Amino acid sequence: MSATTVAGRTPAVRRRSGFSDSALARIFLSPSVLVMALVAAFPIIYAVILSLYLYQGRLREGFGGLENYAEALTEPRFWDAVQATMIFTVTSVAAEFAIGLGFALIMRQTFKGRGVTRAAILVPWVIPTVIAAQLWYFMFSVTPGFVNDVLGLERFNWLGQPGWAMFSIVFADVWKTAPFVALLLLAGLQTIPDEMYESARVDGASMWQRFWYITMPLLKPAILVALLFRTVDALRMFDLAQVMTGGSFKTEPLSMLVQRFVVETPNPGLGSTFSTLTFILVLAIGVLFVRALGRDFVLSTGGE
Amino acid sequence: MAKDQGVVVETSFGRKVGRYALLAFILLWCLFPFVWLIDTSLKLGDRALNSPSLTQGPFGWDNYISVFDQGFGYNLRNSAIVAGTTTIICITVGSLAAYALARLPLKGKVLILSGILAVALFPSVALVPPLFELWGNLGLLNTYPGLYIPYIAFTLPLTIFILTTFYASIPKDLEEAARVDGATAFQAFYKVVLPLAAPGVFAAAIIVFVYAWNEFLLASTFAPRDLVAQTVPVAIAAFTGSVEFQRPIGTITAACVIVTIPMIIMTLILQRRIVAGLTAGAVKG
Repeated sequence: MSATTVAGRTPAVRRRSGFSDSALARIFLSPSVLVMALVAAFPIIYAVILSLYLYQGRLREGFGGLENYAEALTEPRFWDAVQATMIFTVTSVAAEFAIGLGFALIMRQTFKGRGVTRAAILVPWVIPTVIAAQLWYFMFSVTPGFVNDVLGLERFNWLGQPGWAMFSIVFADVWKTAPFVALLLLAGLQTIPDEMYESARVDGASMWQRFWYITMPLLKPAILVALLFRTVDALRMFDLAQVMTGGSFKTEPLSMLVQRFVVETPNPGLGSTFSTLTFILVLAIGVLFVRALGRDFVLSTGGE
Repeated sequence: MAKDQGVVVETSFGRKVGRYALLAFILLWCLFPFVWLIDTSLKLGDRALNSPSLTQGPFGWDNYISVFDQGFGYNLRNSAIVAGTTTIICITVGSLAAYALARLPLKGKVLILSGILAVALFPSVALVPPLFELWGNLGLLNTYPGLYIPYIAFTLPLTIFILTTFYASIPKDLEEAARVDGATAFQAFYKVVLPLAAPGVFAAAIIVFVYAWNEFLLASTFAPRDLVAQTVPVAIAAFTGSVEFQRPIGTITAACVIVTIPMIIMTLILQRRIVAGLTAGAVKG
């Protein structure tokens, strides 16, 4: 019926005949919103409720108000987990960014062999983190001692001491994820037109100047998106620590701490308290990133 | 003159060699650990634990036989069912939502997109205690739905972002022509947009499948031991040897190879699609 009104100026027509369309939009959206609300948002609220009750094992003992939070925040193990999570996040994301940017710049420069490399780069991304963890567990282990053999070290115990245990976990994560960061940054690099580099070169800009004044500013949105997803992902690290150290030697991240209070020493109240605190922490850091990202988008569109 | 030219050729040649050396380094970084993995999985008995050398045998298939003796076939089946179900439901539900966001008039679009982004940033561990309680009451522990329901919720945001980008890139004219010819909005979506968006849908499907196939935290909490629902990553993390503190390196590496080889082949064949999906999701997100 809308087609008969004004054919030709179709976008306007579509808007005007809006009712059925916007109803359809709501119908199309509702299953997704429903699933996300029921499975992601509702359990968060339920966790907050659970965290207000006191438990002895799995048995509810009564309402405790904020008692669980007081216990959680004075628990040294919680702060150890916060520390381990932060150290892991900062070091792994920084290393992944540096190495990923290096890989992306190399791949942009070479044309032959780029396809093969881009396929290879996906391989560490596609395999389960648990497999990467087992792989590097055995690589770093004293027996068979492959890493020690390559470095010419005798029976150095990478996984059995604080510091180096975290190093091994960060290394495994960087191995698995730096290629993925490279892929995201390469996509960003490919949107920068070659002419910009050409004219900069004609104007006598050095390689470093071209990198600093052309590549970096234009790559900024891609960098921020990559950093956002990597940071949030690193904050919820679990697989590597679980398989490589089991959380020993100061490598227990927040995710593992929460899981311990669900499975090993069940306490739904305290477990939910830890999970709520983790949720707040991760979401706060995510929001900070998104705000930086939003401002950047506004600035870049306003500038042009 | 001639000398100068020679120098120029030489430096560019040297630079070329340098570039390919760097490219080779990337390839080595990505692929060497798998060479080591395959090599180790073929070593017999305690050889694998005693020597870091790549060439020291004896080699054989024993580890692979032992993996399947321990019920790894069930784990593969469970993972295939869980990841397959997640993918089908997530893509069906997500493609509708993405079409609504990309093409249909909608009030509060920004609010909805922020909500979806918030779920994308969710730490999945926040769901572990409450869902464990809920699943316990509903009898969903050690079942397939206990796993694929949360997986769908966690993969929906990325699916919606990827597909919204793909739908937005399809020329509007085609759809509008269909609408002018009397097609309803639903017909325009179903008959015109969806076939054109097939590559994007396929890319999103691969990424969702990989997520569900690899997920470990929820799987190891909600279906830890029972072979009825235990997935591949949980099994690989849980392989235990006869001696408490000695991990069975042969069995584990063999299981890893069994899982890895098909995934690598799939990746190499579908790499273009995967890259398109990953970058679309990231650029939009």
